[in-house]
Amino acid sequence: MSLSGITTPLRRLRLRYGASEVGSGLDRARSFMILATLLYRMSHLLVGVLAVTQLRRGHPVQYAGVALAVGLSVLTFGAALQRGWFDRWHVGADVLLAGCVLPFVLWGWGGSHSPDSLGWAMLIGTSGMAVAAIALDRLQAVAALVVLALTHLIAYFLVDARAGVLVGHLSSLVSSAAIAGIFWWYLRRQGHLLDEANVRAVEAEVHRARYAERLAHHRALHDTVLATLTALAAGGIDGNSSQVRERCAREAAYLRRLIQRTSDELPHHTVGAALEEAVGSVESLGLRVTTQYHALPEVPPAAAAALADATREALNNVRRHAGTGYAFLTAAGSDAGGIVITVVDRGTGFDLGNHVPGLGLRLSVYARMTEAGGRASVDSAPGEGVRVELRWPT
Amino acid sequence: MAHVTTVGLIDDDRMLIDGMRSWLRGAPELNLETCASTVTEYLAAHPAGEAPVDVALLDLVLRDGSAPTDNIRQLREAGSRVLVISTVPDRAQIIESLRAGADGYLTKDNDLRTLSAAILDIAAGHCAHSPELAFAWAYDSDPGRPRLSPRERQILLDYASGMTLKSAARRAGITVNTAKDYLDRVKTKYREAGRPAYTKIDLARRVSEDGLNPI
Repeated sequence: MSLSGITTPLRRLRLRYGASEVGSGLDRARSFMILATLLYRMSHLLVGVLAVTQLRRGHPVQYAGVALAVGLSVLTFGAALQRGWFDRWHVGADVLLAGCVLPFVLWGWGGSHSPDSLGWAMLIGTSGMAVAAIALDRLQAVAALVVLALTHLIAYFLVDARAGVLVGHLSSLVSSAAIAGIFWWYLRRQGHLLDEANVRAVEAEVHRARYAERLAHHRALHDTVLATLTALAAGGIDGNSSQVRERCAREAAYLRRLIQRTSDELPHHTVGAALEEAVGSVESLGLRVTTQYHALPEVPPAAAAALADATREALNNVRRHAGTGYAFLTAAGSDAGGIVITVVDRGTGFDLGNHVPGLGLRLSVYARMTEAGGRASVDSAPGEGVRVELRWPT
Repeated sequence: MAHVTTVGLIDDDRMLIDGMRSWLRGAPELNLETCASTVTEYLAAHPAGEAPVDVALLDLVLRDGSAPTDNIRQLREAGSRVLVISTVPDRAQIIESLRAGADGYLTKDNDLRTLSAAILDIAAGHCAHSPELAFAWAYDSDPGRPRLSPRERQILLDYASGMTLKSAARRAGITVNTAKDYLDRVKTKYREAGRPAYTKIDLARRVSEDGLNPI
């Protein structure tokens, strides 16, 4: 008659899906796009460094230009890697400063008067465009494309570039934007589909776990309530005999607890399951227990075990000494996450003044509770039953 | 001549009615007059003008879908006091029932002695207290619940834990009568509190508890 085995499927499920944090499909699509555009930009920076060190050795404005490009790249991609996605302002600054202003600065003050020496700065604009295509709004991205294309047109016109060079660079600018945009659209869509499939899988698994839980309840009901009802329906049994009535009362109490616990709708009550086990163990020995639960908190397994052991011992004491065959058990969570459990009987009681607590009370109740960071107290008077209170934490 | 308390029973479980009938034969101080499966049926069998029963036992949830609070009001208007009984203690409904005018609550698994004591208590104009009822009051989380004094709360909690009123009174260092007064006072406070929220803060809390607030 124990409910404890029934909560395990859901708990296992939670461990499997709750603990591992892979990130959503969107997160994964984002980190892939950050990485891809970063590699693209690094290849362009490499071209810039090589061009400046070999073609324009020693020109300070050229070095400053490379430093600017590297700085803006570090800002844009560093922030994206750290936060998970690009900052629009960083991307905008990268496009305008490195993509649009830098070529003219190099032309005006850096001595770049040929398409070859200006090319690396134009490339920086191309990889900036790839980032703009995925990180900005559609309108902003189009605006970025227009200003970068104008920069290409004007700058190459200033250095007298051949039409072939101009067309080649413009086409790589447009295709960078298009390829990045298409990649981004495709990955996002795949990520979305993957997320949906995951949600469906988890739902199905939860459904299966619930079903398993229900089956476990059904089995318990089959062995108890159904067996009793079937035997009674078949006739030939004196339904009024004390044995049958005791059994019926016990099983009714089981059903009552079952309903109380399901209505709490928190299947992972470690305390609830542990208490249920304690009640079940004394019930099978003939003690009737009325239980009332309220907002049972989640407590560490060690505390739950200590509470259940102390409860079982207190219930056993009722069975052995109270002389009523009847006990009341209440368990209630407090606002601060603690719990108070009482085990009460209306039996013979004893005089607290000259009573030496038995071994069970001393070890299983007092010592066990203290060890688990809780506290136990006992109250009684002759003829007035016993009240054991377990409190965790102290 | 010993006074006999008249009792009515409204429950849609045929077996429970039969069992109760044979059960109450063992209590000479009680006379089960009318049994019915709904309040409408009960009131039809017990027309106005006829002397109402002293105490009506009412199953909390009837299969005809009637609201427990309506049932209680109708029975009270007919002139009977009401003891609510149910198989499983539904705490919110127990509290509502007492608010609506019921004078006590018991689960159906109590023995005849407890049941007849409760009926006699109610017939005498008192409230029939039970650990289940005390538990429902003690752990009521409704924001509109009345404020209880520390003493009232202690007696309520001890009685809810299953102690007899006598033991709870001893623990608190008061007499049984005073302890009973405390419990009765809790009932009165609930009757007076009613359901409506008092202040804007309470109202806001209730709104957010009811999930109407998006935040």
